[in-house]
Amino acid sequence: MIESFNLTKTYKGGLTAVNAISFTINKRIVSIIGRNGAGKTTLLRMLSTQLKPTSGTATIDGLDILRDPEKIRKHIVSIPQEAATIGVLTPVEHLKLFLIARGMSVSQASQESLIALKELEMLEAKDRPSDTLSGGMKRKVFVAMALAANADLTFLDEPTTGLDPVSRFEVWSAIKNLRGNIVLTTHYMEEAQELSQEVMLVDSGRILEHGNVRDLLKRFEGKVRAESFQKEDGDYSIGRTYVKYIDEEDAERYIKMGYNIRRITLDDLFVTRGVEIEP
Amino acid sequence: MLKLNLKFSLAFAWYYGFRTIKRGPAYVIASLSSPLTLLFLIYIISKGELIKYAVVGGFLGLVASVTFASVADAAFLRIQLRIQDLFVTSSITPTDYILGLTLSYIIFSMPGLVLYAIIGYLIHIFTIYSILYMISILVVLTISTAGLSMSIGGAVKHIRNAWGISAIMSVFLTVLPPTFYPYTYLPKYIIYILAISPTTSAAVLTQAAFGFEPLMVPMIFIFIIEAVFFFGLARFFTRWREN
Repeated sequence: MIESFNLTKTYKGGLTAVNAISFTINKRIVSIIGRNGAGKTTLLRMLSTQLKPTSGTATIDGLDILRDPEKIRKHIVSIPQEAATIGVLTPVEHLKLFLIARGMSVSQASQESLIALKELEMLEAKDRPSDTLSGGMKRKVFVAMALAANADLTFLDEPTTGLDPVSRFEVWSAIKNLRGNIVLTTHYMEEAQELSQEVMLVDSGRILEHGNVRDLLKRFEGKVRAESFQKEDGDYSIGRTYVKYIDEEDAERYIKMGYNIRRITLDDLFVTRGVEIEP
Repeated sequence: MLKLNLKFSLAFAWYYGFRTIKRGPAYVIASLSSPLTLLFLIYIISKGELIKYAVVGGFLGLVASVTFASVADAAFLRIQLRIQDLFVTSSITPTDYILGLTLSYIIFSMPGLVLYAIIGYLIHIFTIYSILYMISILVVLTISTAGLSMSIGGAVKHIRNAWGISAIMSVFLTVLPPTFYPYTYLPKYIIYILAISPTTSAAVLTQAAFGFEPLMVPMIFIFIIEAVFFFGLARFFTRWREN
């Protein structure tokens, strides 16, 4: 269980990336979603003991991130955003090095590395220098690290950013194989919906919404999103696209009027909160 | 008490040092090109007279230039690859990480050192005593220069600056000190100024050990103090758990 108490991070220069956030999370997979610069990575780095908060604190299974970072590190794995492989090293070498850093013996690290790579169907590529691997495979090396570490809690910072749809699907499938609980950040709503039982929407360093995906979307029950390029009173905006929420049975009528109709996704939580999202 | 995870440091050194030699030999040739070019130039300009200085200095120059290049390396692993972040949340300490990187540079320098050893053997400059002395100097020099490099690498904010800083350091802190020429060519006060680079004290001590020049005793202390200081400094500047 992760509990945060007024967790705040203000960088030198005055930018407050995380602003007095308090929450409790205790689900198998939790997604922190938000735009670039919303404070997701800063929050994750503080929780995973990589970055000291300016004020407030958090606990992970009762261990304080300020007082007990070494104890916490024995139970967690954190895969940084845009982590990249060392070109000359192979996947199996990356994994072994990572597991030795976590205190495993060389033979145990070799064994666990092979098991994880097999589970992610990467055995064929295990001895290839990683600069010859595809983007998706490189990313899977890091998921394999998390899998092999067998930690109680895994933090994944934007694990699929920049990947093509097929690679993203492969990484999702790999993430689902991880044991223990997972906290991941993403700005892909479909990723959060696909993977997590609970989501936390953040913007400008604050939590906008927090809860079960189904509960959060309940307010849109029976609705669809109608988009047009002409603003009417009460419309929400996504860039230069204007959005209203209509009953499903009215969809045909709106299509005839030139509207584009879309299914409700987690994006709509941001839209109705007035947060500009990418069209 | 300082607890070391030597298993990690050795594994890191093996993978990062040895695998780079094996799979990227061009890096090794690149690291050798500068000291070998200087060796050639000194041989031509001094008509062979200063060749023994250039060979002995070549050992130091090679190790120093490889480890000074680690400014860019340390910054690259931290900023670009985010590999350092991976290790921050494991059980290793900054000392284990720095030691691993340092040892990997020693391994990486090996092919060059072997080449210099062959040249040194051919021109008959080695004795058992001088070989042991040279090995000790090289180990301490690596610790010192790696510590200095990683401290500066930790302060680098943008990767675009890292390669430039590393190149500047490599030239100014390796070629300017009396690495490839007799230290007695310089006034004493200049030597003390140049001692800001660990290569200077290493060169003075090596030239004395090989019987080329007299020993300058204060350099022994400067050499050791710098190694402890720079390695300690790196612990604080590697941006392990960031504030």
